[in-house]
Amino acid sequence: MTADLDTPLNNDKELVARTQGGDPGAFDELIVKYTPRLYGLVYHMTSNHEDTNDLLQDIFSKAYRSMANFRGNSSFYTWMHSIAVNMTINFLKKRNRRQHPSLNDPDSNIENDPDFIAATSKGDPTKEVSIHELQKKLNAAMQKLSHDHRIVVTMFDIQGVPHAEIAKILKISEGTVRSRLFYAHRQLQNSLHEFKKN
Amino acid sequence: MSHEPMHKVIKLKRYEQPPEGYYEDFLREFHRRQRAELLNPSLSTLLLERLSGLFSELRVPAMAFAGAAAVAVIASIAIIRETPRQETPRVHSVSYTPTMPYSQVPVTIQNVQNMQPVSLRVEMPTSSKPQGGSMLFPPSYLLQARPANHESPLSF
Repeated sequence: MTADLDTPLNNDKELVARTQGGDPGAFDELIVKYTPRLYGLVYHMTSNHEDTNDLLQDIFSKAYRSMANFRGNSSFYTWMHSIAVNMTINFLKKRNRRQHPSLNDPDSNIENDPDFIAATSKGDPTKEVSIHELQKKLNAAMQKLSHDHRIVVTMFDIQGVPHAEIAKILKISEGTVRSRLFYAHRQLQNSLHEFKKN
Repeated sequence: MSHEPMHKVIKLKRYEQPPEGYYEDFLREFHRRQRAELLNPSLSTLLLERLSGLFSELRVPAMAFAGAAAVAVIASIAIIRETPRQETPRVHSVSYTPTMPYSQVPVTIQNVQNMQPVSLRVEMPTSSKPQGGSMLFPPSYLLQARPANHESPLSF
């Protein structure tokens, strides 16, 4: 399981150098490249599309202002994700309990996913769960997790970021990443017990 | 304990995607916000820009500012240390509650010849005049420094 942004890292270096040299078009390319991934990261943490949009704008704005300070000690990918994680967690701390989910409609391709079929029907039509019902339950279960647990589940389970990369982004050890995942999965199993034996 | 089934279920969340055309609009929105920020900068940004502009116009080396700040700090420390400490006047307040009537207090006077004449006056607080025989506050005694030529000493 690897992050799909891992391969073109060299291209990032060039785009970063051009941005630091005063070429705003280069930063536009970085925005286009990183928006889908960072959108997913923030959205799965907040469960709110509007909050995600505002926060993502602020994240790229901050990254642009801080580009002069980026020395390349880590990859741009790691640096950008660290900014996104920190700003999202700060936002969630301020938002606290006043959250109103604003969920995106799942892509229609989900209906053909074998994992979806297995999770929702389990061969028993009487126990069939609709897409939106499943979505609501998944989001409710995710929101029950602590920020630290939710971020590792988002990156590992949903986005497929490897343990080592998560450790770099969160500045923790790989062991801590695995431990947080273990406890998060256990908590999710309690919340989503109806889907556990598929 | 295998968490693989849970991993598969949670993974389905990746199908939740923003509305079509969102990513294309995102960049336009980013540019619009950047322009708005340039036109309506925040107070802190304005202050920072003004300060940096002021310093660049003065054309004074940065070390000069650091030096001036250091001198100011040293001077203020020296002034604080040199200032003599002023003794603040101490105020004592002792309440006196007589244990017996004043007329029955025994008075023993020794070495009467060396005593300076003073006058003694008993003042009753106007707000606490005895009503019904009880005294709420004890009377205050004033020793006056002026000679009491026409008063017999120690007479009440």
